[in-house]
Amino acid sequence: MSQTPDTAESEVTRDVEALGTDAELANMFVAEALDHLSTIEATLLKLEETPDDRELLNDVFRPFHTVKGNAGALGVMTVQALAHKVESLLDRCRSGQHVLGPAEVDLILRSVDLLSAMINDLAARVAGQPGRILRDERIALIAEVEGLLSGTTGTTGTAGMAGAVEAPRAEERRATGDRRLEERRADAQTSIKVDTRKLDGLIDCVGELVILQSLVYEDPALLRVADERLTRNLAQLRRITTDLQRSAMAMRMVPIRQTFQKMARLVRDLSKSTGKQVELQMSGEDTELDRKVVEDINDPLMHMVRNSIDHGIESAEKRAAAGKTETGRLALRAFHQGGNIVIEVADDGAGLNTAAILRKAQSQGLVEPGATIDPAEIHHLIFAPGFSTADQVTEISGRGVGMDVVRRNIEALRGRIDIETAQGSGTTFAIRLPLTLAILEGLLVRAGGERFVIPTFSVRESLRPAASQIHTVRGVPRLIQVREELLPLVQMSDVLGVAAPDVSATEGTVVVLEDGNRRVALVVEALIGKQEVVVKSLGDAMAGIEGVAGGAILGDGRIGLILDAHGIVRAGGAQGTARAAA
Amino acid sequence: MSQDNAIASLAGKYLTFALADEEYGVPVLKVREIIKVMDITAVPKMPPHVRGVINLRGKVIPVVDLRTKFDLPSVEFTDQTCIIVVEVEMQGRKVMLGAIVDCVLEVLNITAEEIDPRPDFGERLDTGYMLGVAKVRGRVEILLDLDRVLADGSLITKAA
Repeated sequence: MSQTPDTAESEVTRDVEALGTDAELANMFVAEALDHLSTIEATLLKLEETPDDRELLNDVFRPFHTVKGNAGALGVMTVQALAHKVESLLDRCRSGQHVLGPAEVDLILRSVDLLSAMINDLAARVAGQPGRILRDERIALIAEVEGLLSGTTGTTGTAGMAGAVEAPRAEERRATGDRRLEERRADAQTSIKVDTRKLDGLIDCVGELVILQSLVYEDPALLRVADERLTRNLAQLRRITTDLQRSAMAMRMVPIRQTFQKMARLVRDLSKSTGKQVELQMSGEDTELDRKVVEDINDPLMHMVRNSIDHGIESAEKRAAAGKTETGRLALRAFHQGGNIVIEVADDGAGLNTAAILRKAQSQGLVEPGATIDPAEIHHLIFAPGFSTADQVTEISGRGVGMDVVRRNIEALRGRIDIETAQGSGTTFAIRLPLTLAILEGLLVRAGGERFVIPTFSVRESLRPAASQIHTVRGVPRLIQVREELLPLVQMSDVLGVAAPDVSATEGTVVVLEDGNRRVALVVEALIGKQEVVVKSLGDAMAGIEGVAGGAILGDGRIGLILDAHGIVRAGGAQGTARAAA
Repeated sequence: MSQDNAIASLAGKYLTFALADEEYGVPVLKVREIIKVMDITAVPKMPPHVRGVINLRGKVIPVVDLRTKFDLPSVEFTDQTCIIVVEVEMQGRKVMLGAIVDCVLEVLNITAEEIDPRPDFGERLDTGYMLGVAKVRGRVEILLDLDRVLADGSLITKAA
């Protein structure tokens, strides 16, 4: 114990220095500590359900002990002090001297939050960024733990009952505990930690290798050489490169489990704060998706879960009155389907009120009164910008996230959301995402003398229209009739400012683009073919061009711009699609 | 006194290149590579001096036409035309860009004595993009502040 009390600044400075001496050790400490804290949180939520489970209690104690030890060894004393305090509480619970009740669980969860914040803060400071002062929160939390330990607050009196219940099931629980320990040990042996920058570097290299291999394989000079051995080797080279690419892509995939676990914590907190009873069911936690997608899907999922609990699931009384179980059910499901990954957020709550949504949209001018819109389109109106009211916006780390942000985030991942709802029974949001962002299947088209790539995901169909299908408005061809629909006719020059002369729809080809429920018909010179292309960002300098989603490296090494259906539909199309009179 | 220090700090190695009849120099440390001009894919809705993007070994980088940027008349590419790939700072981040030049000359070691501070033409001409002017072996090299020339914000379009 130091004689003179530390100031907030001096203790942080000391810890930052301790952490900053060895960068690799520091990174390892931070990554492992956050990992442990995440495990602790998940285990605590389970422990909350079964507070007498000795094995789970050990599973919470052990990582706390490790984090405390590591922090102490490195000299990060602020972290060590808090971890040590909580560890002593857990130790007392372990030895039966203290009962683990709801107050204790709540306190430990809050300490997990604070420790994560402190560790992230220290890591940021070591990297040269400004940090926060968390000293007061830490001191307050330590005081709370002491309060519980000294018996002045907290859960007491049920110790006897807990002891009695425990005895008969001790054997069974020890067996599951041992088994879980085995599984965890087995898991630990089959994975290693790798710096994500090294991984990204490797994957970039593989990407370039694939392109170069393609250039060699298609090189006209090589194609002229009719050597059997060369042909065989080139084919073999191509096969191995494809395998290498698949392996590299697979390395970026992580299971969605951690994201779902964050939702578990959110559900618990929301259930308490809204006073509604909610049971969370998760399935498909092992489903893997691209690491970046996992990061980007976090905020949208959080908002949708909050939405379901705030507005979907009814209070226990309302549910009982409607003949439903008092506990509402929220299901998070993840699975692969047809080359995509699907994530569902399903509740058995009140369902979307179609009429109310329509009314609100009309009052906001989003919909013309008297227009015929089918229910699916009405439900999609909740994603319109400005539709969410302030009280429907979730605060996530200081950012306001509403349904429009959710939709935009998902579209940025080249995904889409579908809604299934029934008034009275509940709502299911299904997010569909491509498995990888690095490669795209696209329709290659020529327009304005340049080649463009349209993601096949956005293409509904393509056709060579007859003159009778084209309708003019004030002398200019503006509409095309495709079966019963009248679609706006869009020229590349409208959308991209491409300087080439417009192509007549009947002489070129029309590609029907789809974005959500809106469709437009884009006129191009010709279809070149379908191709899998490597997607490259155009960089910050060129971000935000409406209608362009990025650049694709084509088979011959040149770049074709990737068109963004959402931007084109917005720039060129009208609201919804008008139905031609029968 | 401080102007002398400023000039002294400009001394060093510069890559020189030609645009029309003028010669320019950029600090060699900012130059990543020099490549022969290649197919440039046009990108819509960009300012006129941004020609488009190229594929540099798997990385997509934007390419700027310096003639257009400096209001010089455009000409056809010749077999001397090169793209100088440079690294500039844009909004606090390092960005790679290509700049089209008529031809690349040489790397010159320019001393402080050879450098004059940038001239003041009053309001007739904005010289903010010049670091200074050097007189080397009878030739005048205009030393460019690449960060100002290329990253002056005109490259960045606002999100729709």
